[in-house]
Amino acid sequence: MFYTRRDFLKATLGASTLLSFAPAVPSLLVRSVMAAAPRRDDRDTVLVVVQLSGGNDSLNTVVPYGDDEYARNRPTLRLPSKKLHKINSLVGFHPRMGAFMRLYKEGYLSIVRGVGYPNSDRSHEGAMRIWHTADPSRPSRQTGWLGRAVDSIWSANETDTRAVFVGPITRPFGLNAENAIVPSIRSLRDLTTGRMPGYPNEQSAKKDTAALARVDKDNPLLDFLRCSTLNAHCNSRRIEAAARTTAQTAKYPSFQLAWSFRTIAQLIRADVGIRIFFTELGGGGIGGFDNHANQLGNHCALLQQLSESVAAFIHDLNRDKLLARVILMTFSEFGRTVKENGRRGTGHGTAAPMFLAGGKLKGGLIGPRPSLTDLDNGGLKFHTDFRRVYATVLDRWLGFESRIVLDKQFEPLDILDV
Amino acid sequence: MVAEIKKPQSQYQSGQAQVAIAERLTDPGWAWTAYKPDAHQPWNLAQAGHLYRRAAFGATWEQLQQALRDGPQRTVDKLLRPQADIVAFSRTYDEHENSAVGSAEALRAWWLRRIIQTPHPLLEKMTLFWHSHFATNGAEVNNARLMRRHVQLLRRGALDSFQSLLQGISRDPAVLIWLGADANRKAVPNENFARQLMETFTLGPGHYTEKDVREAGRAFTGWFVLRGQLRYIAREHDGNVKKILGQEGKFTGDDVVRIVLEQPAVSRVLVRKLYRWLISETEEPDLKLINPLAESFGRDYHVLRLVEKMLRSNLFFSPVAYRQRIKCPVEFALGIVKALEGTVSTTQLGQDLAALGQNLYHPPTVKGWAGGRHWINSATLVGRHNLALSLLRGSGPYADKLNPWTIAKKHGFMTAKSATSFLLELFLQGDLDSGAYDHVLKTMQARVGADSGDVEARVRRFAHTVVTLAEFHLA
Repeated sequence: MFYTRRDFLKATLGASTLLSFAPAVPSLLVRSVMAAAPRRDDRDTVLVVVQLSGGNDSLNTVVPYGDDEYARNRPTLRLPSKKLHKINSLVGFHPRMGAFMRLYKEGYLSIVRGVGYPNSDRSHEGAMRIWHTADPSRPSRQTGWLGRAVDSIWSANETDTRAVFVGPITRPFGLNAENAIVPSIRSLRDLTTGRMPGYPNEQSAKKDTAALARVDKDNPLLDFLRCSTLNAHCNSRRIEAAARTTAQTAKYPSFQLAWSFRTIAQLIRADVGIRIFFTELGGGGIGGFDNHANQLGNHCALLQQLSESVAAFIHDLNRDKLLARVILMTFSEFGRTVKENGRRGTGHGTAAPMFLAGGKLKGGLIGPRPSLTDLDNGGLKFHTDFRRVYATVLDRWLGFESRIVLDKQFEPLDILDV
Repeated sequence: MVAEIKKPQSQYQSGQAQVAIAERLTDPGWAWTAYKPDAHQPWNLAQAGHLYRRAAFGATWEQLQQALRDGPQRTVDKLLRPQADIVAFSRTYDEHENSAVGSAEALRAWWLRRIIQTPHPLLEKMTLFWHSHFATNGAEVNNARLMRRHVQLLRRGALDSFQSLLQGISRDPAVLIWLGADANRKAVPNENFARQLMETFTLGPGHYTEKDVREAGRAFTGWFVLRGQLRYIAREHDGNVKKILGQEGKFTGDDVVRIVLEQPAVSRVLVRKLYRWLISETEEPDLKLINPLAESFGRDYHVLRLVEKMLRSNLFFSPVAYRQRIKCPVEFALGIVKALEGTVSTTQLGQDLAALGQNLYHPPTVKGWAGGRHWINSATLVGRHNLALSLLRGSGPYADKLNPWTIAKKHGFMTAKSATSFLLELFLQGDLDSGAYDHVLKTMQARVGADSGDVEARVRRFAHTVVTLAEFHLA
């Protein structure tokens, strides 16, 4: 017989006999709750969305070195083919993306090519807004697709936090929800309860259990708050415990993005019911992917951060046998122009690939490689609407209803091994 | 003088009293009659605390004691029409805001400070209500001057005529920019404002058609926001006949507002929404309970009269209302600040409240804050716990502006033991069910008395324990 933590609470304490005594929630009880059998929820899958801010130059990320048009259009920016990590005789990863190459070989990485949408927007703000709302027809839409996803699974008695933004910038619009409050955190401290200096030791806290576990038949709202307070404290303790056990073991490179991934891995390990994580690379005024001039060096650094941070994350999860629960997905507001612009940079483009990483992917290159000559105003033509990728992760991975989130049914891609 | 507190009579009535009340609640006549304390529903500290949570942002000890002496109706009088010089107070704060050029963060901080200091907290409570009703997000408007004027417009109308308020909203540059209605040409009528007017601000879905929206959009043609200024360009106005909600004429935007307000659905929508804000968010009120108020509100749209009716009523002071709302983050934090008679850094507070889901000047969508159980999840509860800690610990971002031990002594509770009873009264009016009350007092008082550390630190810890009880999250 399996229990969720909530089932366990109900079974042991009675449906509404829960503590109201927040700071003194006894560690004994919390520990036994935490030791309960793992979640039974049919779906405990997790989606990690990584935003590459500024418009990533996909042609210098997954490089079509075997196509003469690449070198012809990129007189100064072309990457020497002997330094690439070759996927096949046509394309290879950027020289600094050795870590992605390893993930690819291990079957933990897929590349969905030619992703975009009709009449693509070429302004950062407009294009990013479209990726966030998932609604190109209504630029002024006030909710993001992930915010709607969280709202779509809300239920009146469930108080686990379902989505979190992890990172140092303002929470991206994609998480804006009509109803749910989606927190933005920088570190685990934002999700764990602090203690007053000199708070009584655990021994005395234990005594609080019995006396405070009581029912309030007359006020369901009070019961709700008692349950959710206890649940919040359990989640906080779980996060603390997960942080302690992984502080030494996991190896991450010293990038901000890697730090965010480490935080996400700890939260996945803590098993506190978060289904969606969102993090970001390139925003916050540090240059980002928007390289109109002298692109090479900056782009190198960003791709190295991305590739090594993602790889550290994937391997960390894999070591703890958690990778089968996680899919990571990258996106950028647009790709860049095929032709470089005379200032050793590139202009705002259109379609681009999305990377997916995780333990339940079919792997490989998905969809045909977009032509370098048959273009959409100098950018690549898309063949896969980005909402098909969203629908895939919503329907087939998270088990949500993409039709509610995206307003209609987009055909999912056959890219998951589930 | 050393004051002592006896264990209070619980607000949790006997079964017999509850039956008596339940019978009367089915009668709208009784429900909206002005409350007179009796044996079933006595006037006590719990009722006073309830009134101050709903009509204000919590109370000081002195306010609670004064309310006990004044009785319910006189206390409501003071909350509705305070004696203080509101005009002078408002002018001062308007000037502060006017000089806080440029940033929405500064406006947010000034508003919170205003709420803490105001002699008329009900006005701010209702301004917050309208801020969620006409929810306009400053990040999208991206103009602090317009957002300042927007909230000042809400405050001017907060307890006044809903009709004038709605007219003001229809010409508010911030609202028009936010809704994407800042250019309404004759050739390309913009329906965005007309749609929100009907769907969100007044009628609600089901009481108008798409055709009404289109026609109303035509009536609003001619209005533009240019470089942050409202402009009416007569040649861009469509002067032809429109047919809106069954009426026909060469209507303008003002006509649309008038026609919409003639629909009986509007006052019902608003009375229900205000019921959720002031009385209860747990149960949808019966139509027969709503109708009498909706009928009179629909005649003049006078907000103060409606608020007054609700606050004075038997229903308001009954179990139907008592602790039947979850505090929004602003109410949660200011409940602590007000009770402890301090003024904290509201720049910091504005930021912390945003993290709890209530970023003033930035409601998430045009629907405002959903509120209720949506305020609560593991992250926001941990956030409330940590904010309370930060407010009460005596150091850190809020420094030592709040000191529960000092406040206890100020009111004559000179020992650690009496201070703990006092804090339970101050924050919860002692109204925990009896087992929890005894437990908290016994074990915590033993702890406060015996643990190491100075008395102040121990009283601070106790205060933090009280404000993180489930009961304290209820308004």
